[in-house]
Amino acid sequence: MLNILRKEAGLSASALSYIFIAFGLMFLLPGYPILCGVFFVTLGLFQSFQKAREANDTVFSALLPIAKKDVVKGRYLFVCLIELCSLLIMAITVIIRMTLLRDAVPYTHNALMNANFFALGVAFFIFGIFNSVFVGGFYKTAYKFARPFVTYIIIAFVMVGVAEALHYIPGLEIVNAFGTDHLGFQLGALAVGMALYLLLTILSLRSSCRNFEKLDL
Amino acid sequence: MDRAEIRGLCKRYPSFELKDVSFSIGSGRITGFIGRNGSGKTTTIKSMLNLIHPDSGEVSFFGLPMFGNEAEIKKRIGYSTGTVSWYPRKKIRDLVAIVKRFYDTWDDAAYRKYLDLFQLDENKMPIELSEGMKVKCNLLMALSHRAEILILDEPTSGLDPFSRSELLEIFTSLKHDGVAVFFSTHIITDIEKCADDIVYISHGKIVAASSKDDFVSNYSESGESLEDIMLRLERSVLNA
Repeated sequence: MLNILRKEAGLSASALSYIFIAFGLMFLLPGYPILCGVFFVTLGLFQSFQKAREANDTVFSALLPIAKKDVVKGRYLFVCLIELCSLLIMAITVIIRMTLLRDAVPYTHNALMNANFFALGVAFFIFGIFNSVFVGGFYKTAYKFARPFVTYIIIAFVMVGVAEALHYIPGLEIVNAFGTDHLGFQLGALAVGMALYLLLTILSLRSSCRNFEKLDL
Repeated sequence: MDRAEIRGLCKRYPSFELKDVSFSIGSGRITGFIGRNGSGKTTTIKSMLNLIHPDSGEVSFFGLPMFGNEAEIKKRIGYSTGTVSWYPRKKIRDLVAIVKRFYDTWDDAAYRKYLDLFQLDENKMPIELSEGMKVKCNLLMALSHRAEILILDEPTSGLDPFSRSELLEIFTSLKHDGVAVFFSTHIITDIEKCADDIVYISHGKIVAASSKDDFVSNYSESGESLEDIMLRLERSVLNA
């Protein structure tokens, strides 16, 4: 598995996949829909899918001395690695905003969503949607990615909009908690986001392995 | 001893059908897989490599069924397509650095030997290579992990006569080292020059699978050349 991951990272990956990890830092921006950072990270991942397809990677990988399903697992592993790197940046950013910058004026007068554990949980969920809708959709054909990507974009931006709007609904103000306020709720929301990420990714991986096995390349 | 056994392969497409394809590939022999364009050569080869799924039939290498032994079998076979190149904008050296890790049988000495023999520059990218050199580049990868059987899809297509002749000589030299070479072609003179066995496919059906000598003695009429035989057989299939 390490070899196929090395192949993904060294041959198939677009440099943009690595560079766009830095969009995790968008969690620092006040007055900006911070979850757009998640979309930009996935846009970088999309570039790797595009580059790999142009290089005939699917058949190249299928001919390597590994089981066909390991080709799919390698790609998922790479995608998750990039996502987790950006989530790490987002998590560090969240902690900085919750502690050191808790009272910084640009953040206390922020009309949009605060960077807190709830936001991080939603970021996990949107990455899970990417893995499920885009990556899983791609492996239905191992060739076509326009429809799965457009579908993912629509769902992702609806999610961003919903997450941004939630705290305006009476009773749901706690989703936009500052600092360590409502920490129990926030950590619970993060745990739910992580669980959804895991669930969506594992289900998508299983179905992609099955689909790829049946494909005629 | 047979290196590969293909039994009863069937695959149905809306406009084409592979019908009950069966043949075997012998150790240390060169097998020419001949048929006109669209006769089913590539479909058969892709089925052998588990790239497409036949509706029925079995493929086994070294006595092991492909299903369930894919990784182990692929380590022992080499595959090349004549004109397709992978990662056209990566240096050969970088491609090799990634690919070699998958093979515990990778032989750096063999890699250097074939690099010199094929006069390939490992700092070049596939996109910078001629069609002939691309074939050699694919062969380089296959031979450097001591493949016991080479499966080559139209390796001589697009090659000039000199490169073709050179490639056929390489096949002969590999055969003497015990490597089984299976190559598809629609160029009959390639078969005439170096093949020991012939598998002839027409309209998705194997017409003949035998040694070249047996093929000629069974199908030749009044001193026909191999090319004359093939053309007559193909016409008779069309007129049937």
